[in-house]
Amino acid sequence: MLETNKNNMVRFTLNGKDVTAVKGQTIWNVAKEQGTLIPHLCHKDASGYRPDGNCRACMVEVEGERTLVASCIRPVAEGMKVTTESARAEKARKMVMELLVTDQPARAEAHDQSSHFWAMADMEDVSQSRFPALERERIPLLDSSHVAMHVNLDACIQCNLCTRACREVQVNDVIGMAGRGRDSEIIFDLHDPMGASTCVACGECVQACPTGALMPATELNDAEVGDSADFDREVQSVCPYCGVGCQLSYKIKDEKIIRVDGVDGPANESRLCVKGRFGFDYVAHPHRLTKPLIRRADAPEKGLNIDPSNPWTHFREASWDEALDVAARGLADLRAYYGGKSVAGFGSAKCSNEEAYLFQKLIRQGFKHNNVDHCTRLCHASSVAALMENVGSGAVTATFNEIENADLAIVIGANPTENHPVAATYFKQFAKRGGELIVMDPRGQGLKRHATHMLQFRPGTDVAMLNAIMHVIVEEKLYDRQYIEGFTEGFFEFREHIRAFPPERMAALCGIDAKTLRTVARHYAKAKSAMIFWGMGVSQHIHGTDNARCLISLALLCGQIGRPGSGLHPLRGQNNVQGASDAGLIPQVLPDYQSVADGEVRELFRHIWKGTEIDPKPGLTVVEIIDAIYRGEIKGMYIMGENPAMSDPDVEHARDALASLDHLVVQDIFLTETANFADVILPATAWPEKTGTVTNTNRQVQMGRKAIDAPGEAREDWKIIVDISNRLGLDWDYDSPREVFNEMKMSMRSLHHITWQRLENEHSVTYPCLSNDDPGQAVVFGDGFPRRAGRAKFTPARVTAPAEVPDEAYPMILTTGRQLEHWHTGSMTRRTKVLDAVEPQANASLHPKTLRALGVTPGDMIEVSTRRGKVTIMARADRAVSEDMVFMPFAFVEAAANVLTNPQLDPFGKIPEFKFSACRVSAVTARTAQAAE
Amino acid sequence: MQTTTAKRAGVWKDGSGKGRSTPKGRQFKDEALQEVCALLGDKPRRPDLLIEFLHLIQDRYRCLSAPHLRALAEEMRMAQAEVYEVATFYAHFDVVKEGGKTPPDLTIRVCDSLSCSLAGADKLLRDLAAKYHSGGKVRVLRAPCMGRCDTAPTLELGHNHIDHATLEKVEAAIAAGDTHAHLPDYETHQAYVANGGYATLGSLREGSQTPEQVQETVLASGLRGLGGAGFPSGKKWSFVRAEKGPRYLAVNGDEGEPGTFKDRYYLERTPHLFLEGMLIAAWAVEAETCYIYMRDEYPAVLEILAREIRALEEAGVVKPGYIDLRRGAGAYICGEESAMIESIEGKRGIPRHRPPFVAKVGLFGRPTLVHNVETLYWVARVCREGGEILSSVEKNGRKGLRSYSVSGRVRQPGMKLLPAGSTIMDIIDAAGGMLDGHSFKAYQPGGPSSGLLPASMHDIPLDFDTLQPHGSFIGSAAVVVLSDKDSARDAALNMLKFFEDESCGQCTPCRSGCEKAVKLMQADKWDQALLTDLCEVMADASICGLGQAAPNPIKLTMKHFADEI
Repeated sequence: MLETNKNNMVRFTLNGKDVTAVKGQTIWNVAKEQGTLIPHLCHKDASGYRPDGNCRACMVEVEGERTLVASCIRPVAEGMKVTTESARAEKARKMVMELLVTDQPARAEAHDQSSHFWAMADMEDVSQSRFPALERERIPLLDSSHVAMHVNLDACIQCNLCTRACREVQVNDVIGMAGRGRDSEIIFDLHDPMGASTCVACGECVQACPTGALMPATELNDAEVGDSADFDREVQSVCPYCGVGCQLSYKIKDEKIIRVDGVDGPANESRLCVKGRFGFDYVAHPHRLTKPLIRRADAPEKGLNIDPSNPWTHFREASWDEALDVAARGLADLRAYYGGKSVAGFGSAKCSNEEAYLFQKLIRQGFKHNNVDHCTRLCHASSVAALMENVGSGAVTATFNEIENADLAIVIGANPTENHPVAATYFKQFAKRGGELIVMDPRGQGLKRHATHMLQFRPGTDVAMLNAIMHVIVEEKLYDRQYIEGFTEGFFEFREHIRAFPPERMAALCGIDAKTLRTVARHYAKAKSAMIFWGMGVSQHIHGTDNARCLISLALLCGQIGRPGSGLHPLRGQNNVQGASDAGLIPQVLPDYQSVADGEVRELFRHIWKGTEIDPKPGLTVVEIIDAIYRGEIKGMYIMGENPAMSDPDVEHARDALASLDHLVVQDIFLTETANFADVILPATAWPEKTGTVTNTNRQVQMGRKAIDAPGEAREDWKIIVDISNRLGLDWDYDSPREVFNEMKMSMRSLHHITWQRLENEHSVTYPCLSNDDPGQAVVFGDGFPRRAGRAKFTPARVTAPAEVPDEAYPMILTTGRQLEHWHTGSMTRRTKVLDAVEPQANASLHPKTLRALGVTPGDMIEVSTRRGKVTIMARADRAVSEDMVFMPFAFVEAAANVLTNPQLDPFGKIPEFKFSACRVSAVTARTAQAAE
Repeated sequence: MQTTTAKRAGVWKDGSGKGRSTPKGRQFKDEALQEVCALLGDKPRRPDLLIEFLHLIQDRYRCLSAPHLRALAEEMRMAQAEVYEVATFYAHFDVVKEGGKTPPDLTIRVCDSLSCSLAGADKLLRDLAAKYHSGGKVRVLRAPCMGRCDTAPTLELGHNHIDHATLEKVEAAIAAGDTHAHLPDYETHQAYVANGGYATLGSLREGSQTPEQVQETVLASGLRGLGGAGFPSGKKWSFVRAEKGPRYLAVNGDEGEPGTFKDRYYLERTPHLFLEGMLIAAWAVEAETCYIYMRDEYPAVLEILAREIRALEEAGVVKPGYIDLRRGAGAYICGEESAMIESIEGKRGIPRHRPPFVAKVGLFGRPTLVHNVETLYWVARVCREGGEILSSVEKNGRKGLRSYSVSGRVRQPGMKLLPAGSTIMDIIDAAGGMLDGHSFKAYQPGGPSSGLLPASMHDIPLDFDTLQPHGSFIGSAAVVVLSDKDSARDAALNMLKFFEDESCGQCTPCRSGCEKAVKLMQADKWDQALLTDLCEVMADASICGLGQAAPNPIKLTMKHFADEI
C-alpha cells in the first residue's frame, strides 16, 4: 500500500489544476481520483493487474515531452504538467479507438453486447471507421473447443489482458501472444484449441477480456452473441468449494444463477477457479431433493442400490411434518430404549458456522454425549492435534496471502494447483517474483515447474526427511537460539533426539540425497521470512501427527513464526472446515476448542445452554463411530451434509455399517451414496440458497448470502436442525442465523469484535480481531503462544513405517486425493456440466513406464486391488506419479478409491491412512471386463 | 473381498469412454525430449537462452516441430505458450505443427527492401518462386534488408549470400552445394595484436587513465551514438556507472534499418577494433558481462565473432563467457534497444516503456550500457589514436566523420566514410556519380524511418540534428539514391510494407496503423486527409521509434511528391 507522508508526495498539475499525489501513482489513477476517467482498454483497474500501456487509448499530453504519454503506466512526477483535454491527446485517443473499431465485429453482432470496449468507444463518441478493414483470411476463426468458454478472436484487440490474467495473475501459463505485428494472435499452449490445451478453465481471462473475444460459452447464442450485463440482480457471497474462501458475485436472471464473477475478497482478490466460476449449475440439477422422503415399508434391503433420478423404488414422498416426525421419533425412540449413546451425528464442513454450531449442540444437548464429528477427521485432524499440542491453537498462524512477504516457502504434501487453486496462484506469483519455493511431495505435482527445489521423496517417509533437515539445522547451529530461549520449551530433549537422523542416513530412507537435504535446511534456516504450507499428504498417514509435529518443530527451531511472511499454514480443505471445527463440531471439544473434559468449560456451556449437562468424556471420531455401529453400540445416526459412504476409508465396510443402522436420517441436497442407506431423507438447501457465515483456511469469517430460492420444499439446514431439536424435546427458538451467531459469540473468544453487522458490511473479518475496526490479524503468535508461559513446544517424532507396506502380493503404493474439477465425493461437481465434461470418468494415474510394463495403453481399463477390495478404472498416463505408485481421486462412485484405502488410524488425530495402501494393478482384458459386467 | 464392479443402481454415474488418458494438454514425447536434450548438451537451462536453443533445433531439424517445442518447454521448465510465442515472433524460425510440412532442405531468402527492389528484386523473387515452386528441395521466401544493398539485388541461399543475384548464380550455387557463409579476409586477433591492438585496453586496465578521463576523451571527440539516436557516447557511461552494480554492456548488432551495412563493413574487416572498443566501454562501466546481439542475417559476422571471442579467451584478454554472443532470429524491432534487451533475455522483442531507461533498468533489470557496433569501433580508435581523428574533421559547419551506407542508383555503391557535413551531392560524388541514364530524383537519408527527400533538397549536410526541421533524420546514415526511373510512391509503399511486417504488434497505432496505412497507400488516389491524421497519431502515440517514425515516408511523399499520389 502506498503510504502518505510528506516525503513521498508529488505535486503536479492536471489540466491546469494543482494536484498532490502519492509518489508512484500513475497519471491515470490520479485523474480517476480527481474525477476524470481517461478511456482505457488494456488497463484493468483491479488488484493484481499491472498497467501495460499498449492500447494507447489513454494518451495524455505532458509538457516538454516529444510524444504523448500513456497515462495508465506513467507515474506522476514533481512539477509535471499533464493535460488530458488537449486537442492532440483527444485526437490520438479517438483515432486509436477508430483503428480498433475498424476490425471489430459489427456492433449488433458484438459477442458481448455490453463490453467494456463499446462503452469506451461510446465515451469517445466513435462508432464507425474511415479505415479499410483487415483481410478476411487474416481474421482468426471461432474456437469453441472448450466446454466453458468460447474464443472469438475477430474481436481481439491484442490488449494482452488475457495473457496477463493467465500468466501474471493466475500464473496458469496457458495463454501467449504469438506471431507479431497485425497478425499477433492470442494462443493457448502451442496454438492448440483451448479445449485441448492445458487450460484449467479458471476463467480469469474471460473476466478480464474487454471485448467479449473470450466469453463464457453459456452466455453466447448460436450466432456467438451474448450480453454480460443481461442479468436481473447480483448477490455477493463466498464460494462453497474449498477452504480458500473466494468471494464471488452471483449474477441472477429469471431467478437462476447465470454467471459467477470473482469479487475482491481478502483471500482471492477477484480470482476464482473452474469450480468457483463454472461450478454452480448443480443447484438446478434434476437430482435435487425437493421433498422429504421416507423409506418405503416394502423397500428392498439397504444397499448402494438407489438411482438418484428414481428413488421411488425405495422411498416415498412425505410432508415435512411427517418426515420430521419420523426422523426425530426414530432417534428419540433409540434414545429412550438404548440411551443417548445409541445415536451419533455427523455434521458438515460444507454448511455454515451457525449450522455446525447447532448440529453439535443438538447432539450434545439432545443425546448427552459428544459422539459428533465431521470430515475434519478425514483431512487435518492430525495437523490440528499437533498444532493444539505444540502451539496451543489449531488454526493457521498466518494467512496464505502472507507469502507475499516471504522469501522462502515450503509446500509439503499439498497439491494446491488442484485443491486450492486460488491459493496456488499466490504461491506461483511468489516463485515468479524470485521467491524460493521448496516443494516436497512424492508426486511431481503442478507446483513442480515453479519450484526452486523439488524433493520427490518416497511416500510415507516424511518424518525421516524432515528430521534430517532439522538435524542439519541443529548440527550446523543454524537455529534461532534467541527465539528458542524466548518462546519454546523442550529444545534440549529435541536436540538429543534429532542427533539420530543425519541426512546421510536418512537419504536412503526418504530417497532425497543428503546434499539436497542440507541445502534446503540451510536455506530455510537462513531465510528472512519463511512459511510452511501443508495438506493431506502430511496429515493422512498413521504418522500424520508426527509429520505435523516435525513441521512445527522446524518452524520453531528457526523462529519462522509470528512475523509477516513466516508461519505455519495447513491448507484447510472444505469451505468451512475451519469454521465447523471452531464451532465445536468435534468430539473432544466444545466451540473454540474448549475441552469437554474441562469443568469450567462445561459450566460455561451449562450456563449458555440453559442448564445442559455436558458429558465430560470426549466422544468418538468418524471412523470410531463406524466401528461402534459394527459393534452394535450405535444404532441410529443423524447425518447432515456428509457422505461417509464415499469418503470413509475401506468404504464397503462403512457402507455395511450404515446399512446395519436401525435408523438413519440423512439431510442433504442430493440423494447421496450415504442417503442410499437412509430411513428418512430431508431435502436441504444448497449454499447459494441460504445465508450464513463460513470461516476459511485464513481464519477469515465471511458472509455467505442467499442468492436464489431453494427448489421445491427444500429447507435451510439450520431450520431443519431446529425442527428436529423441537421434536427431540429441546425448546430452541432461533429465528435466523444471526441469532445463532450471537449465541456463538457468548462462548467463542475468536469471534470477539466480529459482529454479524460487520460481516454484512465488510463481508469478511479475520480472527483474532483486536477492535471493532480491525480487519483482523493476518499473522499471530508474534509475542508468544496460547500455551503455558506463552511457550510453544518441541515434540520429537520417530520414524514410523506405513501401516501396510508393499509386498509381493501387493507390490505398489496407492495414494488418493482430489482432482481440480471434482469436489470431495463428487455429489456436487459431477452434477455440474462443465466440471463433468472436463473430468467425466474415474481414472487412476500411473507412470507411462509402469503402464508399458503392464501392457496397458493409456485410456484402457485396469484393475486396482488391495486387501480391502478392487475396482476397475481407466488408466491415465502421468509422469508426475512415481513408477511404483498409483494415484486415484475419490470422487467417482463407479470406481470408488475408498473401496481400497486402509482404515488404520493415526493414534493422536484418529485420521485414516488415505495416502498409503499397498496395492496391485493388472490389465483388464476384454474378457475380464465382460465378466465384470 | 468385496467388489464394486457389479452394477448397482446406486452407482449413478459412469463416464466410461469419455475420460482423458493423460493430464490436460499436450504431453511430451520421450524421443523428442531426448533429441532436444542431446542438442542442449550441458548448457544451463536458463530462460534467456531460449532463442539460442530454438536456433539449435531449427538448424538441426530445419524447423521447430510441435513435439520439439513441447519437449523444450519441459526441459526448460517453461510454459508451452512462452516457448511458442517466442518461436513465432522471429522470422527465421519455422514452427511446424502436426500435419504441417517440414520446410525443404534449402531456403532462399530474397531481399525485397528498397535498394534490392530498385535493382529488380521483385522480378528475381517471382522468377525464383516460379522455378523452385514445385521442386520440393528449395523454397523461396521474401525477406527484409540483409545489409548488402551495395550489391543489390541480394539473396541468401542457405547461409550463402549471393550478391548481384541472378537465377543462374543461384542454380550454380545449388549445384555446387555452396550454401554456407563465406568468410571474408579480416584482421585476426594475431594480426590486430601485432599492430598494437589491445595495448590501449591493457594500459587502461592497469590504471593509466580513469574511466572519467576516457569518457572525457570520448566526449571531446564528438562521438555520438551511431545506431541512429545520436546520443553523446561518453555521457551514457556516467549514467550507467552512477547506478549500483551489477551492470551489463549490450552491443546492438542488429543492423536492420534497410539500406544500412556499415556495421557489417567494419565487422567483416576489423572486428577487433570493435571488440577492443567494447572492452574499453565495459571497463569504464565495470560491466559484469558483455552481450553482443548480432543479427542472424550476418552469418559470416557471427562466425568471425565466435572465432575471435574464442581467441580473446585463449589469449586471456577476457575470461571465458565474459563476452556472450547472441544470435538474433529475424526481427527488425530488435534493433530498438529495449526490444533487443528483451530478446537477449530470451523473449519476444517487444520494446519497453520509458522511463525507466535501460541505463537504469536494462538487461535482467540491471543498469545496462547499450552501444551500437560502429560506436564502439570509434571508441577504440579514439582511445588509440586520439579524439582528433573525429573532432579535427570539419565540413559545412559540422564536425566529425560519418559512415554512409550508400546504395541505389549510383555507380559505386558502398560504405563511404565522409565528413559528417557531407550533402547528398558529396555522397553521390563519392559513389562515383549517378548510374548512366539515371538522373537524381530523390533520396532516403537514413533508412525508411527517415522517409524520402527530393533532389531539390541537395544542400543539407547529412548529420545529426540537421534534418529534423525537414521532417527527417540521419538515423543510421543509410542513404539510398533514387532516380527519375523510380517512383517515390512505390518507394514509400515499400517502406510501409516493411514496417507493417516488422511492427512488433504491441501498440495499436503501430500495429493497426501500419496495416491501414499500407492499404490506404495502395489506393489509386491516397486519402491524404486521413493519412495525415493517421501519421500524426502514429508519431504521437506509438510506444517506440518504429511506429513513431513509420509515418515519415508517407508524410514526406505527400509533401514532396504529391503528383504521384
